[in-house]
Amino acid sequence: MNYLTEARRNALAAEYVLGTLRGKARVRYQKLMMQYQVIAETTALWEQYLDGLNHRLPPVTPPPRVWQAIQKRINPEERTDTSGDIVAFERKRRKQWRLFSGVAAAAALMMAVLLVSMTEPVTAPVERVAIFNDTNNQPLWIIEISGDSLNVRVTGALAARTDKDYQLWMAPAGGGAPVSLGLLPKSGDITRIPPSMLLDKNVTVLAVSMEPLGGSPNGSPTDVLYHTNIFSV
Amino acid sequence: MEHETLFPLLCETANGNKEAFSELYKLTSGQMYAVALKMLKRPELADEAIQDAYVKIWHNAGQYQRGKGTVFTWMLSIARYRALDLMRYHKVRNEVDLSEDTHLPVSPDESNLSDAEQKKLEACMDELEPAQRQAIHLAYINGLSHHEVESHMASPLGTIKSWIRRGLQSLQRCLSL
Repeated sequence: MNYLTEARRNALAAEYVLGTLRGKARVRYQKLMMQYQVIAETTALWEQYLDGLNHRLPPVTPPPRVWQAIQKRINPEERTDTSGDIVAFERKRRKQWRLFSGVAAAAALMMAVLLVSMTEPVTAPVERVAIFNDTNNQPLWIIEISGDSLNVRVTGALAARTDKDYQLWMAPAGGGAPVSLGLLPKSGDITRIPPSMLLDKNVTVLAVSMEPLGGSPNGSPTDVLYHTNIFSV
Repeated sequence: MEHETLFPLLCETANGNKEAFSELYKLTSGQMYAVALKMLKRPELADEAIQDAYVKIWHNAGQYQRGKGTVFTWMLSIARYRALDLMRYHKVRNEVDLSEDTHLPVSPDESNLSDAEQKKLEACMDELEPAQRQAIHLAYINGLSHHEVESHMASPLGTIKSWIRRGLQSLQRCLSL
């Protein structure tokens, strides 16, 4: 099936946005959006075409618990401010940072002692894994998701270009444009905290794109090289 | 909601400004919640859908691109896709009250009627055959699948699919003029 035919592309994008493209077809379409810029653009066009229908509905004020829950989720380290006073919230956050920096040196020292003395490393178990293979089926990057961290290891099979960077992307569970998970290392390994939506078990597809040095210039993948599924372990 | 109002708030949100994010929420959450509630029916699921949507918006504000529509279109799409996910996950049985008017009139007080695109969409929807219009409306606003539209409109599945496909094609032709 030629997904790049204009009529076919529009038909799929329209049904994706409408919501009638479901099940595996929907997941396949999300992969295509990550692979082909033109498909992501057609989807965005249909989102604009149909968006006016949303505005036929009279607004309904959500209950206060919704905003409180959002605050809690974007500031998991802080007590939820039920008054909604964002300014006070920010002030408190800055104070906490000062306090944090004051104890950071001592904590670092303690950590160093602990790391030296520990015989068994204490890490969150790996929950999900994704492996990017090259065209010869040689693994290039191994992605491990554990707890709320994302670990990326580079294998010896990667012959990275020095004039390009490689960027990791995820297909959001709810559809829409690919979301950047940052640049991939060209050697060694890195650990970072990913967007919380990567922890959604419905996110099953990752992709790697080749980008100019510094990463995607426009927030979308430039040249998708590989995509792969995330497996639970 | 005007893009010119929301865009600066989204830019500030991308910089981690919680006050701007709070303002963005105040201005948009009524419509976001209405869309999610219409699809999911159950308030607790609509709560979850827009919580997830706003958390995604907080983390991905910097990913927004003007070429992909207005800020509000982008935000509402995020909420709709999350609602569709939750419908499948919770196996929401989607039925529409037969007394419900599936061609809601637009209230000038509550909609974006000043927006030329909105007016054009209304005009183009009005040009569709009634069955096409109703099928598209049921799928988009109520989140009904092909099979659910089939049972609601009491017509064969092939006919429903054809109404939707042809209706969307006509809509695109009209909107592209």
